[in-house]
Amino acid sequence: MAHITINQYLQQVYDAIDNHDGSFCAELLSFKHPHVANPRLQLASPEEKCQQLLEPPYDEMVAAHLRCTYAVSNHDFVEAYKFQTLVAEQQLQKKGKGQPGEMLEKAAEQLMSCFRVCASDNRAGIEDSKKWGMMFLSNQLFKIYFKINKLHLCKPLIRAIDSSNLKNDYSPAQKVTYKYYVGRKAMFDSDFKPAEEFLSYAFHHCHGSSQKNKRMILIYLLPVKMLLGHMPTHQLLRKYDLMQFADVTKSVSEGNLLLLNEALSKHETFFIRCGIFLILEKLKIITYRNLFKKVYLLLRTHQLPLDAFLVSLKMMQLDDVDIDEVQCILANLIYMGHIKGYISHQHQKLVVSKQNPFPPLSSVS
Amino acid sequence: MCQFMTYKVKEQAIKKNSLSQRRDAPAGGEWRQRKEERWRGQGKAQAREVEEDESCEQHGKEAVPRGTCQTMCPARELQDREVQNRLHRFEMLAGTERVRRPRGDPLRAVKEYTRPAAGKDSTNPTDLRPPAVLLKTVCYLIDDIAASPHLHPWTEVYSFVFDRLRGVKQDMIIQRVSGLNCMAILERTVRFLIYASYRLCGEPLWLYDPRINDTHLQESLSWLLDCYATETGPHPNQEEFQALGLLYNLGSARATQHIMELSGRLRTSPAITLALSINRAFLERNPVRMLRLARRLNFIQGCALHRHLVTCRRDLLLIYSHGYCSRNCRFPLDRLAQLLSLDTSLAAQLCQAYGVDVNQGNQLVFSKAAFTEPGKGKLHCKMYHNIVAEKQRELSVGNIIHGCV
Repeated sequence: MAHITINQYLQQVYDAIDNHDGSFCAELLSFKHPHVANPRLQLASPEEKCQQLLEPPYDEMVAAHLRCTYAVSNHDFVEAYKFQTLVAEQQLQKKGKGQPGEMLEKAAEQLMSCFRVCASDNRAGIEDSKKWGMMFLSNQLFKIYFKINKLHLCKPLIRAIDSSNLKNDYSPAQKVTYKYYVGRKAMFDSDFKPAEEFLSYAFHHCHGSSQKNKRMILIYLLPVKMLLGHMPTHQLLRKYDLMQFADVTKSVSEGNLLLLNEALSKHETFFIRCGIFLILEKLKIITYRNLFKKVYLLLRTHQLPLDAFLVSLKMMQLDDVDIDEVQCILANLIYMGHIKGYISHQHQKLVVSKQNPFPPLSSVS
Repeated sequence: MCQFMTYKVKEQAIKKNSLSQRRDAPAGGEWRQRKEERWRGQGKAQAREVEEDESCEQHGKEAVPRGTCQTMCPARELQDREVQNRLHRFEMLAGTERVRRPRGDPLRAVKEYTRPAAGKDSTNPTDLRPPAVLLKTVCYLIDDIAASPHLHPWTEVYSFVFDRLRGVKQDMIIQRVSGLNCMAILERTVRFLIYASYRLCGEPLWLYDPRINDTHLQESLSWLLDCYATETGPHPNQEEFQALGLLYNLGSARATQHIMELSGRLRTSPAITLALSINRAFLERNPVRMLRLARRLNFIQGCALHRHLVTCRRDLLLIYSHGYCSRNCRFPLDRLAQLLSLDTSLAAQLCQAYGVDVNQGNQLVFSKAAFTEPGKGKLHCKMYHNIVAEKQRELSVGNIIHGCV
């Protein structure tokens, strides 16, 4: 096995296919089989040779596999894994039937097993270790998991990379992609502080010329920042063609619930497609807080009649809200730390603290 | 063509098996290991592909098994279970229940669920019921068993129907049933499981396990929603079930996102709009609004929502404990009872369970320090079911599950 020529190898592959000897064929494409150590098979461009002897799609698969062996021999593990996964994906695409989600799941399974091989490589030294392939593979897997909506599968990958000592030494491109997906996942789990951290990193370290990527990161970074009380400027929105957020931003900072509802329904399709509609709805609580702060500033007293809040909500055309709901909304804001004070049911008043009754949004988690 | 396909499928199956088991295997002994695997037969996950293979080889052109059994229970199984004394008492011939070996009633026996196992042939056509027979079976299970006023206790009725519905689902999977019959069966299954989740709430674990009910409910619901998405319409009940799905999975980001991705026409339908508003109120932590909106739900929707009412009421007591926390706080119990949709004595009991103090004059003293989660088993959801119970009124169980209200 270790000394055969390229022609002999290809002949063996051809025979295996012809005789439907699946397992032997699998061995010839596997990395655990001794043939990978054969320097005669480690070719940078084996496509022509493969095309001569094999039929599609096998010619592509085998060519990818051989390029992989070449890459490995040159210690370029990232390239290597790219090709080996290509081999796996080719086989899956052949099947053709079933939903696209099904094939993506199967592709993910294959990639996951590659990832496990990388993660468990304890024998090689740090320069040759397969661990360098971990982040690249995670990023591919994240893409699939987000597409098939199985985000919980991201957790073991994140854990593995976090506990690895190489996590800061991967290439900037890989790190940006990684932080982008981890940030999105944190957003989904409502961990907004970490989400802001990850997405900000991705945005700042993303190459200035990749406008499209920066825009994509911004789509997720903006809602998170808004939830933490930081509104984007018009210039930023205009620069990245994200004017859909303009009205949302304005309404939140003004405490204008009416405008917020309008803005959300106007660009509903865009927000739903990006998967941020639900997060933007969370801005409603911030908007209530801003509206009620205005009421406080207008009345200039620390004992605010509940009726005043009811009036402010009716001005926002929220007609089916009654005094009970007002109390509930206020109680929730107090519980979340957005208002410091208490409600007195007997006096039908909200009594706020004399010091900093509406703490800044960034200080409230 | 078929032969080649068979080999491809087997090859995939073997590759998958060997890939997943090969992780730490030494380089040497794989060849032998894989050969052994091939002989030992594939694992459970491959069972379906194996069945496809077998039927492919046995029936030549026929790739998917087609059942021919016209009775609710295949004759062979009825005979076997009779001989082995494994008939359920609902399946016995009247008058023979107490003899040593009761006789089975072919008009009442229903094929039971059995686990797929390697080497077991579950594709024999005489053992499989075609879709029309499956639907008739489901209707029998609902009308004559679940809705029957004579069969007690209902926990036993539930177990029987649950198991036999699982058998129906299995036949559907093996035969790759789709279309109107499939959806009609799944719709009834989902309604039954939702109703059961409400009716059997609070029963001891060995008689009813809410988690097992939930697993099957989610599976059936998922399959049903898939059918709506992939099969050409019209689907007259889709609005109902999309709404039920959201109500049952209230607060779930996945369920909400799914609803948001439906067509505009569906999303603006009354049932889904109401479900979305309730979902929104729940996510915003506005229990007053949520309970107010919940009053507009019908009975089956109430059943779907009911397990979230506990969280909703708890949320109310929690935020009020913070919002009204002051030394002179006095909140009237009556008012709270109204907000919680409970009568005064039940409201008082609930408050006590959460550590909220009720004083002499039926006034509540909210305090964030006093609020505590009730100990395990201390809170009986069933006691507070009235908001759903009062919706049932004159509805019969049969009508609820068939959906003709």
